Amino acid sequence: MSNSSVINASFLNLSYDDGTTEIIKDANFTINKGDFVFITGPSGSGKSTLLKALYGKLKPFNGDLIVGGLDLNHIATKDLQKLRQNLGIIFQDYKLINEWSVEKNVALPLIIAGYSKDIQHTQAKRLLSHVKLLDHIHKKPLELSGGEQQRVGVARALSKNPFLILADEPTGNLDEYSSNVIWDLMENACEQLNTTVVVVTHKIPSVFTIPYRHLIIENRGIYEIH
Amino acid sequence: MKFIKNHITFIFPLMAILIGLEFYFVFERTTKNYEDGLKNNYSMLIIAHDKVEIKELQALNKHISTIEEVKKDSIVDEISKGLKDSSKKSLSKLLPHFYNTKLDTYLSMEDIGTIKADLEKSRKIKSVETFDNSHDSTYKLFIFLKFIFKIFILFIGIVSFFLIVKQMEVWSLTHHNRMSIMEIFGAPLFLRSAVMYRIAIIDAIISSILISLVFVYLKYNWVDSSGIEILMNNRELIFQFSDLVKMLGISIVIVITSVYLVVSNLKDES
Repeated sequence: MSNSSVINASFLNLSYDDGTTEIIKDANFTINKGDFVFITGPSGSGKSTLLKALYGKLKPFNGDLIVGGLDLNHIATKDLQKLRQNLGIIFQDYKLINEWSVEKNVALPLIIAGYSKDIQHTQAKRLLSHVKLLDHIHKKPLELSGGEQQRVGVARALSKNPFLILADEPTGNLDEYSSNVIWDLMENACEQLNTTVVVVTHKIPSVFTIPYRHLIIENRGIYEIH
Repeated sequence: MKFIKNHITFIFPLMAILIGLEFYFVFERTTKNYEDGLKNNYSMLIIAHDKVEIKELQALNKHISTIEEVKKDSIVDEISKGLKDSSKKSLSKLLPHFYNTKLDTYLSMEDIGTIKADLEKSRKIKSVETFDNSHDSTYKLFIFLKFIFKIFILFIGIVSFFLIVKQMEVWSLTHHNRMSIMEIFGAPLFLRSAVMYRIAIIDAIISSILISLVFVYLKYNWVDSSGIEILMNNRELIFQFSDLVKMLGISIVIVITSVYLVVSNLKDES
């Protein structure tokens, strides 16, 4: 594993039901700092499962998976919590806390990390202004459209300047305008902050301005397309 | 409405535990008060060859609380009517020493028998006279009622605790979405279940205050008309401020335990 690698998988096996349902088999790949990576593949190929494994939701059945220098096969709960606090995760179904305000949702990673209320407020305001939702700061997520909710999700993912952003079909349910806003935000994070971004998607967007890598999951293997 | 229902279904079993607890405190105090009354009315008579000190008696049995020597003069006067003064003096010298002895607690006749045997081991002591306790049967009834009461409270406590845990499971479902999202972002267990701890502690405080109010009402508005002599004469037995502190402490421990039991067993579905 090189010094700049953020994710390193070697002979990675992912499966459900204690190994009876094999999803990924003997996958080897490395993702370096500042990489923008798309992972594609047909439905049910294991894209979301791989993403879950990357944030420690699913333990590798076999092989090694190292994220941010931590071996996810043998990670302690406290270390996993620390790792997750430094990730930005974006979901297709947004996973916002509906009883909280938009501001509090954006500040969630800062709340968990124990930042002061002032910092939470300042950072949430800055990011909401960035995603053009400052007017909705006090609203609840369910008062927003799908595209707006996803922008809140992206703002939340960026709020603690994570070293790695993991996105699961971030534009899957969105119209073209909202999708473009989301891609812009992620491109900026990668380009300006040198953040590593891994996006699981059905289809790579046609308008994409920065260089990216493309991994494809097929027949339980993970391959890079050059 | 659902919010109120959720809280009531949590507060009621907690109140059941606290009512049982407060009744137990009252019963304990009443029994103690009754025991003190019996203890103060009971004494043993020690007849000794020589003068004895309380420490010597306490070394023989720790339940000896006080001794008081019975003046010989009154005994001599009683039995020497018509005798000469010189004879009275000789009689006085011949008489042993008599001591009225009180105990530190109320004991059964079996225990008093043991004390008698312990004291009679001393060479200085000629004999120990004990008296049948007319209150023994009442006391035994008290002890029996206390035992039954403890079993009853324990049973109510267990059933109520399960109801509290069940209600906590309902709450955990309500908060499951938020808790699982917080878990994804690395929140430790305590932080993601903080809301449940907060609500549960507030409900524990409400329950403790409500039960205290009920017993304060009983203390000032019911006792006088209750016809229960021991309570009418000792109103302070019904409720004391320390009971509120105890109830608060115990109810907070119960709710924290139940929240922890539920949240630590939550399976994340996200």
